[in-house]
Parts: sequence; C-alpha cells; structure tokens
Amino acid sequence: MLSVNKSTKIIIGVLMGIWGAITIIPFIWMILSAFKTNPEIVSMTPSLLPNEWTFNNFRELFQRLNFDVYLVNTLIITFFSFGGLLINAMAGFGFAKYEFKGKEFLFVLVLATMMIPGQVTMIPVYLILNQLGLTNTYAGIILPGLAGAFGIFLFRQFFANISDEMLEAARLDGASEYYIFLKIALPLSRPILAVQGILTFIGGWNSFLWPLIIANDQKYYTLSVGLQLLQGQHGANYALQMAGAAFMVIPILIIFLIFQKYILQGFDISGGK
Amino acid sequence: MATFKKMLLGSLSLATIGLLAACGNEGETEGSGTGSDSSETVTFWFMGDGNEQVQPILDAFTDETGITVNVQSIPWSAAHDRLLTSVASGEGPDVVQMGTTWMAEFVDAGALMDISEYTESSEDLNPDNFFEGNVATTQIDGATYAIPWYTETRALYYRTDLLEEVGYSEAPKTWEELKDAATKLSERGDNMYGFNVDSADQTFAMMFARQNGSELLNENNEPQFTEPEFTEAMEYLNGFIQDGAAPGQDLGLDISQTFGGEGIVPMFISGPWMISIINENAPDIEGNWATAVLPEGPENNLSNTGGANLAIWNSTENVDNAVLLIEFMSKPENQLQFLETSSSLPANMEAWEDEALSNELITTFGEQLENSEHMPLLPEWEQIAQSFLTYWEQITVGGADVAEQMEAFNEEATNILN
Amino acid sequence: MKSRNKLAPWVFITPAMILLIAFSILPIFIAFFISFTDLSLSGLADFSRIEFVGLENYQDVTSDGVFLQSIGNTLFYVALGVPLVVTLSLTVAVLIQMGNGPFFDMMRLFFYSPSITNIVAIAIVWSFLFNPNQSIGLINQVLSWVNIGPIGWLQNPQVAKISLIILAVWRGLGINMLIFSAALQNISPTLYEAAEIDGATRWEQIWNITIPQLKFSTFFVVVTTIIGWLQFFEEPFVMTEGGPLNSTMSIALFIYKNGFQFNRFGYAAAGSMILFVIIIVATLLQMKVQRRRDENTI
Repeated sequence: MLSVNKSTKIIIGVLMGIWGAITIIPFIWMILSAFKTNPEIVSMTPSLLPNEWTFNNFRELFQRLNFDVYLVNTLIITFFSFGGLLINAMAGFGFAKYEFKGKEFLFVLVLATMMIPGQVTMIPVYLILNQLGLTNTYAGIILPGLAGAFGIFLFRQFFANISDEMLEAARLDGASEYYIFLKIALPLSRPILAVQGILTFIGGWNSFLWPLIIANDQKYYTLSVGLQLLQGQHGANYALQMAGAAFMVIPILIIFLIFQKYILQGFDISGGK
Repeated sequence: MATFKKMLLGSLSLATIGLLAACGNEGETEGSGTGSDSSETVTFWFMGDGNEQVQPILDAFTDETGITVNVQSIPWSAAHDRLLTSVASGEGPDVVQMGTTWMAEFVDAGALMDISEYTESSEDLNPDNFFEGNVATTQIDGATYAIPWYTETRALYYRTDLLEEVGYSEAPKTWEELKDAATKLSERGDNMYGFNVDSADQTFAMMFARQNGSELLNENNEPQFTEPEFTEAMEYLNGFIQDGAAPGQDLGLDISQTFGGEGIVPMFISGPWMISIINENAPDIEGNWATAVLPEGPENNLSNTGGANLAIWNSTENVDNAVLLIEFMSKPENQLQFLETSSSLPANMEAWEDEALSNELITTFGEQLENSEHMPLLPEWEQIAQSFLTYWEQITVGGADVAEQMEAFNEEATNILN
Repeated sequence: MKSRNKLAPWVFITPAMILLIAFSILPIFIAFFISFTDLSLSGLADFSRIEFVGLENYQDVTSDGVFLQSIGNTLFYVALGVPLVVTLSLTVAVLIQMGNGPFFDMMRLFFYSPSITNIVAIAIVWSFLFNPNQSIGLINQVLSWVNIGPIGWLQNPQVAKISLIILAVWRGLGINMLIFSAALQNISPTLYEAAEIDGATRWEQIWNITIPQLKFSTFFVVVTTIIGWLQFFEEPFVMTEGGPLNSTMSIALFIYKNGFQFNRFGYAAAGSMILFVIIIVATLLQMKVQRRRDENTI
C-alpha cells in the first residue's frame, strides 16, 4: 500500500469528497423523491429535498404489491444465483491454471457470449427452454443466467495472478487439484469473490425479464415484475417508481457494505502469512 | 479425492434442487395452463395491475357463471416481448388483451382466433354496440378477430385563460384559427410557444394529413405521401415550428410543466389520460383549462383511435368460456366498472350515457370518437410510421425541404410494403 | 506449471461450459441461421412461413445510411469513453486506497451508486441537468454564470454524443473501480516498502509498482469495457432515442429499432452478427497485443 502523509490524505479526502458527492446526487435524488408527491417531482423547479415529506408512495406500494409472493421468489432466485458464483469461479480457475487442448478456443467461446445483445438470444433461449420443458419453472428462470462470461473472465484474471509456486508446493504436499481450488485459491480470491458476490446479488435481486417471460403464472413473479405492474400504459407515476426503486436498493446497499469488508481483506496473494 | 467428491456433490445437489423445485412446481401449475383441462376456468392476460383494475369485474363474472378466471397481469413495458415468446411456443392464454396497434401483426401471425361467428350470433358482441373506429381495428380481411374493450382518441387541450387573452373565448375550430392563436400566443416571449407539434408521436402528423383529405395509403396499399393532400398538411405543421409557434425539439419538460404555470405550451393534442395527470401535477391551473375536439382541417377533423380489444388466443381449447368472459366484459355496466378502476374509456357506446362520462372534459372525447379512425391496419404500418419520424426530423430540425423528404419517404414506404 | 491430473481442468470448466453452450452459444448459432431468413412474427408462429433469403438482410443492413452512421457513432463512443472510464476508475480506486479508512470506504459506495440507481431516476435527473434552457437546466445555468451560452446538450447533433458519453462514464465508473480496488488489495506491501527505502517518490511508486501489478485487472477492465461500449445501448435509448438526426444512434440501438421493434428478426440477427464480428475482432486483437506484451516482458 502506498504510504501517504496526513496532509496528502486530507487533500485526497477533500477531492474524493467533492467528486463523490457530485456522483451520488442522482442516487440521493432518487431516494428522496420516494418521499415526494408526483407533482413535486415533475415541477419546473426541481428540488433535492422534499418540500412536503409524504409516505403515501410507500403506503401505496405495499398495499398494491403482492409483497410476500414476490419477495419469496426474488429470494429464491437470488439464492440459486450464488450457485453460479461457484460455477464461474471453477471455470475461471480451470482456464487460469491449466493447459489443455482447446483452451484458447474455449475461452474465446466464453468471451463470445458477451458479444451479442440480449434480445437476439431471448427467443432462441426461450425456445430451447420450451423444448426442455422448463417453462413455468424456477429452473427455467435461473439456469440461463447461471454461468456468466464476465464472472468467468474476472476469476480467470485473478487466479492467473496467483503464484504457481505456491500451488506447486501444495501439490508436492499431496493436495488434490480440487483441494487446491477450494482451500487455497478460493480463499486467496476473497476480494474478487466479494465483487462478484455483489454483482450476483444485484443480478438476482433485480431479475425482471426472465421471471416474467418464463412464468405462465404470477406466482413466479419477482419484486421487479411486481413493481413494473404498477406502471400504467400512459404517463408515469414517478413518485411510485422512485418509492419502488428506493425500496429495492436497500438490500443492495446492505450487501455492498457487508461484502466490501471482504474486498478489503489484507494482502496474502503470494502465500506469505 | 474426498474434496473432489464433496464438490461434485455440491454442484450436483444445487442443480438437483433446482430441477426438483422445477418439477415440484410443474405439478402444481397443471391447473393454470392454457385452460385445456378443467372446464370451469378461463385464463386471461391483462396488461397492467390486474389486481386493482380488473379483479372486481372478474369476481363478478365468477359469481354469475361459476367460472374461475386465472388472470395473469403483464407489465406494459414487457408485454410485447411476452406475447412474442407466446407466439413462438404456441402457448398462450384463453383471452388476451390486445392493444389496437398490435392487432395487425398478431392477426397476421395467426395468433388470434377468428370469432366472426360469435359476433354475428351474440347480442353483447354485436359490432354496432361499439365505436366504429374501434370496430375497424377488430376486422381484418373481412373477418373479426376481437371485440373492442376500451378506447382512446386524441383531442385538443388548451388554456382557456391564455386563449382569452389573445382573443379566443372558445377553442380554435379550424386550422386557420389554430395557427393564428398559436402564433399570437408565441409572441408572449422568446421561450414561449402556442402549440405543440409532437415529433415523437408517429400518429400526429398522420391525423392532420387525414384532416386535409389524405388517405395515407390508397385501396391498393400504395403510399400517397407525395400527393398534395399529404404534403400540404406537412407544410402546415412545419409552419408552426419554423415560425416559432411550436417548439422544434423536445423541451425536456414534462407536459404538466409546459401546460401549467405560465403555459409555455398552452395548447397540445393528446389522449384522455392527460386529464388526471394535469389535475394531479398542475393543480395551479384548475379551472383555467379545457378540452375541445380537434380543429377542422380542409376536409374534416379526424382524430386517431386507439385502445385495446379482447381477443381469443388461436390455440386455446377453452373457447366457450373465453367467449362468455368477453361477453361479460363487453356489457356497458362492466365497461363502466373498468372505467372506475382504470380511467379507461369504454368502447361500448351505450356506456357513454352514464353520468360517469358526463364531465365536460370527457364528453369532448366521446364527441371526437365519432370522428376518429385508427391508423392503417397493416403489419408494416408501424415501420412506415417510424420511418416517417426520421424524415420529419430532417425537416423540423435539419431544415430540409418538405417535398424532397416526402419523396424519399414515399419511396421508402413503397419498399417497406413490398 | 503442469499438473499430472489431466481430468481436473475439464471438471472445473464443464458445468459452466454446458450452461454457456446451451443458453448462449447455441442461441448465437440459431441467430446466425436466422440472419439468412426473413423471420418475423408470422414466421415465429408458423415455421413453414419462414423463407431463406440468403445475404439479403446483410445487404439491406449495410446499405442503410443510418447503420453506417451508427457504426461511426459507436466507434466514437468507444474511442472517447473507454479511456475515460478506465483511467478515471483506476484513479478513483487508487486515491481511495491511498486514503484508507472508513470515510474512504464510504466513498467507494458513493462511486458505485450510479450503477444501482434506477434508470428512470437517472433519465429524469440527467434530463434536468442537460436541459437546454438556461433557467432550468443546471449545467447551462452554471455555465451562464461564466457567460458560456446555452448548450443544447441533447439537442445539438454535435454535442449529443458527448453528453451521452459523460452520462455513461458516470455510470460505468463504479464497477471498474471495484475491480481495481480488489486488485489493489493483492499488491504486496513489501514492494512499496522496498521502494520507499530506495527513495522512490509516490508518483514513481504508482508508475513502477501499482500500475504494472495491476496488469491482469487492467486487461480485464479494458477488454470488458470495450465489449460493453461497442454494445452501447441504454443511454441513447433512454435519453435521445438515437437522435437528434441519428447523431447518437449506436449499432445496438439501430438493431433494436429497426429489427426488434418491427419484428424483423432476420434483419436484426444480421445486424447483430455484424456487431458480433466487430467485437470479436477487437477482442482478439487485444488478446494478441497482450500476449505479445507478456512475451516481451519475460
């Protein structure tokens, strides 16, 4: 870690403080707008703080939202998404630490999956799921997004950075590859696991399109779908949308703050403990 | 090796749990499929918040007939995608709410059932019950594919106080008056306008073209965009922008901001949904605004019909119950019930006799509905209309020549239709 | 390092590969075939109505002036936006790490907040910021204090792209900053200590230790950011719909508007394939450059 003296730290602090404050203003606006009335949001002279604090938006939100069902579904989907975390880490490790035939090609194939817009694959994936009989099931909702090239690539980069000598030493000690992965590599990659964890949570928590498309029944709907249902065909009830958005972002903030601790885990990449 | 087994077990069990959960739920959902089993259910796809807007009617239906309605609410923002996947898989509901602008494409794809026989035999489903403009959206190639449910059309919203000030005690009644009033209103200041020429709405200019007598497409579906009826209307609208009477580009403001307060844009054309939006977001101008039917062009004051119909999914086996549900929802009292919960105007003309629709602001729309038509019902029309907007932008923002752009537009439209 | 266990790598990558092949690769192939047909809504309903049209979709797409314009726009976005995102996110990550402490940890959340802000909120706030009217739009209001005339941020065809880049950089900074933050944690302090002893200045330390040590994550950030920005979509979709006068139209938005909105799936697939080729060529080039760099440093 670069060492900094007190005065530099203060300068950095001020710089970051100003820059950060500007960056977060739209977010703050979003949260505060949840407490405004719609007229106030669309008024010509927009304000940050509500002129009149109101809880009506939240009241309407919880009254109209079939909260329990949507919450349970969202939690189930988010939970199973973390299975994807493990699968991506495994793949990243495989690509990083081994030489095998076709490795280059397969890795490019993995990256290729990031290079096509979602709408293009939406209908083919749906048809595939239909053939597999997985429409209207949790599996149909979760499986398509479980493995992700972004995560695999990210893990691969981090695992590649782990010194081979350390793994070699473990091997000489008789450790199996799988032991090395689980007990050595994964713990070393805690910071990046935390980052991917945050992303996985956000993805699962906000899932909208697939639960809607796959479901033939509202009992598979997630919170995001439920929130969208409250929007009419014309004219937006911004206040209600902001209330929904503010509500949805709270667990994300919590997860971020929890996981951030792990991003800041002390250094121990070269095995020095 | 022990760890290997553990890991393998771990990922396998994760997958198994997933599949088990999937299978487990498959069993439960048998009953809510496409209604092919139990004869006392019917599935209905509704766009928007079904719980709040349509459940009361469905409950009344169940009370009367004993048939349970499995309603699936679908958010507007993803409705088209949802319908696409249904077309792809062939699995859909029994009754589906179908927006008028989507009728052409889904009928063309064969997704909706031909229900001509029912409209002929059933009193409730008789086309004469409904506004002509809406009925027209249900009939394609001589067959009927849906029943009108709710309707909308466009009318003129105007600031009565501001128009008074420039000498108009009533809304402009003709194209000339509209232009005159708008010009006078725009003279109030630099950033003040009189009227809004909506460059994001693909039906706006088409309405005015029709008011000038343009057919848009002739009987052979050939584009008529180079004919004087069409180009004159475009020149008329472009005049507003070039003279500063209407903003040339999006002001980046909400309509309630431009209509309320000082009235930056004191006249605009839109549908009935704006009434509650203005009431809510611009309460400061209460009593100082009204609606009026569209000013008459050289030929007429035709407006644009929209709304939604109720259709039967072609592959359903539950036709009888589907028809019963649609009949129920087409009754005037049930359409009024829907008006109450969703503020959507009934397509059933008898319903308009009710007090609920007697408010002056709303009767305007009822009146306009008598002179209102839908855009051409071709699957390709949407693409033509969208391409029009790009040529229109060249004229209003890029300063291009109207005749030239209309030539190019006509050519592209011809290509699209072939 | 070669392990004697030949099976292990396959065990590691197989679950992910199966899922990716089934739900990503296979669909891409299907899309590839669709691009040679006239698939539309009616074709979806009834496969027998689909007709093979050979290269027609590709010819149509490449002869569309707006498509070519969108390619130019997209390359502009990438050329300007990617360096900005990468350098700014790296800068923020390094500065926060130098700061060190609860205040700075909170800053990480601040910089990540754009990624978790609802898109509608973003649209409303930034539309307000960009409003051309000097008495309404905040940016123009501030500019008017120093007598810089009102700028049509989203109205002026020359400026609109820049406005969207500013918006997109603001949004994209967070995740890359997080990744750099995680990578920074893995740099051994002893390297810095040794450099301190040798009398290196902080700037020299950053240049000679931090940046090289971040190579693996920088590569990731650059590659994924380029892949992402070549598919620039949401910002023009939400803020300008590709206007004014198609000056902000991106390839992905063009495909969406001309393909998906009109159910012209064959046409959309062809456009997507062209985009795909552009992206994969760009990525392979980067990988080649990286490999050469790796070889040179050994």
